[in-house]
Amino acid sequence: MKRSELFALLIVLIVLLGLPAGLFGYQVWRLQPAATGVRIVEIVARVPEQGGFSPDRLRLQAGETVRLRISSPDVVHGLTIPGLGVNVDEIYPGKVVEVDVTPDKSGRYAFACTRWCGVDHWRMRGVIEVTGTAGAPLPAEPPPLFQQLGIDLDAVPHAAHITPARQPSASKGAGLNVALPAEVSDPARRLILSPVDAFQRLRDDPVNAGLSDDDVWNLVAWAWLKDAQPEALARAETLYARDCAACHGPDGKGGGPAGKDLPGMQKMDPAMPKGPANFTDAGTLLAASDVLLQGKILRGGMGTGMPEFGSLYTDEEMWALVAYLRSFLFKR
Amino acid sequence: MRWAISDVPWVNRLLRGRWLQWGITVFTLAVFVVVILTGLFGTPAGNHNFGIVYVWLVWWALLKLVLVPFLGRSWCSVCPIPAPGDWLQRRTMITARPGGKLYTIATKLFRKVGSVGARPWPRLLRNIWPQNLSFLAVALFSALILTSPLATALILLGFILVSLLVSLFFERRAFCRYLCPIGGFVGVYSQIAPVAVRVKDPAVCASHTDKTCYIGSDAGYGCPYSNLLQKLETNTYCSMCGECLRTCNRDNIAFYVRGPGADLLNTRGRRLDEAFNGLMMLGAAFIYSVVLIGPDSWLKVTARAVGTPAWFVYAAALLAFDMLAVPGLFWLCVRLGQALAGKPKAVAGQVAARIRKGDSLFADYATALVPLGLAIWIAFTLSFTMTNLSYAWPALSDPFGWGWNLFGTADMAWTPYLSGMIPYLQVPVLLVGLILAVALALRTAHQHQQPSTAALPVSAFCALAVVGLLTLYMA
Repeated sequence: MKRSELFALLIVLIVLLGLPAGLFGYQVWRLQPAATGVRIVEIVARVPEQGGFSPDRLRLQAGETVRLRISSPDVVHGLTIPGLGVNVDEIYPGKVVEVDVTPDKSGRYAFACTRWCGVDHWRMRGVIEVTGTAGAPLPAEPPPLFQQLGIDLDAVPHAAHITPARQPSASKGAGLNVALPAEVSDPARRLILSPVDAFQRLRDDPVNAGLSDDDVWNLVAWAWLKDAQPEALARAETLYARDCAACHGPDGKGGGPAGKDLPGMQKMDPAMPKGPANFTDAGTLLAASDVLLQGKILRGGMGTGMPEFGSLYTDEEMWALVAYLRSFLFKR
Repeated sequence: MRWAISDVPWVNRLLRGRWLQWGITVFTLAVFVVVILTGLFGTPAGNHNFGIVYVWLVWWALLKLVLVPFLGRSWCSVCPIPAPGDWLQRRTMITARPGGKLYTIATKLFRKVGSVGARPWPRLLRNIWPQNLSFLAVALFSALILTSPLATALILLGFILVSLLVSLFFERRAFCRYLCPIGGFVGVYSQIAPVAVRVKDPAVCASHTDKTCYIGSDAGYGCPYSNLLQKLETNTYCSMCGECLRTCNRDNIAFYVRGPGADLLNTRGRRLDEAFNGLMMLGAAFIYSVVLIGPDSWLKVTARAVGTPAWFVYAAALLAFDMLAVPGLFWLCVRLGQALAGKPKAVAGQVAARIRKGDSLFADYATALVPLGLAIWIAFTLSFTMTNLSYAWPALSDPFGWGWNLFGTADMAWTPYLSGMIPYLQVPVLLVGLILAVALALRTAHQHQQPSTAALPVSAFCALAVVGLLTLYMA
């Protein structure tokens, strides 16, 4: 064979065999811990109808640094791992986002998509189980407050028998300089009280005999919002926009576009509320205690397609969100 | 007017040598390998997959905007798909085999006297009808193929497999000439290119009985596209590979630079399969414009949903539009033109001769669709590719969508190119295409001894196509 033919054949063999070997070899080398210094875990984020996160369950060890390489083959997704402080706003299809996480203590850390990637977006969840260095089993978590108090989240809809004639104002309530009873004033005790119950207690109290109904409602508004810190409300507003507004609407009236097609609503119990809750509906919301609202956010369900957010929010975020929901009815 | 650029000594050496063509082919083969690998193993997100971006944006833009209009069918001479078949038939890559002998399995099985070793392509299929059908078959799935890297990889693998199989049994580039869905329209539109490979003096050919340009010689192989150069009048089946330049021992073949569209000046004796290709491509341009860049996303979704009832409706509509509506309307225009022309001026003997030769008014008038179709495809390509061509940069650095950044371009943002200028480019291109189409329609009428009025309906057909497309783009 001529030298020129040999040379040509060699080049073609390099193209047909060497090129694929080089490309795949480079990828294998890139993913080696020796090359990166950390363990690499690939997470593929697909729309929930196609499987959601894959894998959706990871096991790590406390103190171990892991590089999460997240990619999406279909639409734009997001990722939050609240317990580990990870927030990725956008995972574009065809792009890879890398995040290093080093959980410092054992526990279960939920992660979720933060972009409305489809009608079943809320199903797109996963969990990272972090064990101690010895791989000890994770301790059991205490039941949530609504369960401890025996509150049935799925009971018939709550309805207030009294509603304010005008929108209550916390600042006006504060201006009245009325001392609130401990069961209304103390945040811990107020958790199990609904605003309409609080109104009734205050209304029945002879000390408030000189106040109009509007003033009493202003006191109720003040009681509910006085302990909410502006930073916490700002965080809650962000969470609401990210996780709630698509169904409940930015104005809280329940008219968000995603709420119309939630699959759960098509199969819901006729006795259950239809569609996402309207947070500006005094008749409904004033009859709900903070524990009840927290339970609903935490567990979801209720036959409405409401997702669970308990694994995603910290306690502080959860209570801040409850206070934020109150602000749809109560002026700050 | 034509200038034999191959008479320039260094150009001649370049064209006769094999390394340039081989080198470009190996480069395109390397790109092809990456396209297949990224299609099979890379991200399914088309806009970040090398396969989709470099086949349907970069290569398509290069083909439609540069190669076909200016270099005719030259892409075919460096296309990687037939290359392995060529090398197997020749049993060499870079050198000529004595006598230009080709080998196929058929060499052993079907050796025939007069055949150069391999079996020739069946006579019945020596036309581009199979190419028209294969294009339509691909077009049915185009919305999927154009957006799915896996589908692109599989279809290209299918092409190379079929090409290889065909080359094992049939001599030369039978796949390219008779089956390749791309080759059909590339060939038809390449008639407009300002370059051509032709004989210098037909009289020399007439006295040259060896026909080395066709059967090959020690210097090279017979024409891969089975052209007999002395009869070659259009670029349709010539890839300008330069094989005939090498094999002609009378130095009677040249690579010419000429006036664009010179192949179209003779509108007589046109072939029906090529006419149908022009009509089919016109219809396809409309459908692609509506489906791929139109405002209705549900159409794109339907076109992608292969196998669903809605897709079958789409497929039936596409076939009906491309095979019946567009050709049917064109046929009506030609017949209307005949009616407007009144009694033909041709004497009875000429008419009889025309019938014997299969000279068809329908096919001849379709010559007008060549510049029009190419203009429409250029306009479509401007919209389709320029908007998304910037994906080429990230895909170059991260071909698989695996998070690589080979050349530091992985994070370059999507930027539509020429976005403000596209309408200003599309309108003149379409108008030039329309003017040339009308001119060719008039020429056809005159060459058929018809009055100018006979060209009116076909001209109106062309104008309707341009107005329709402009309306779509402006919408």
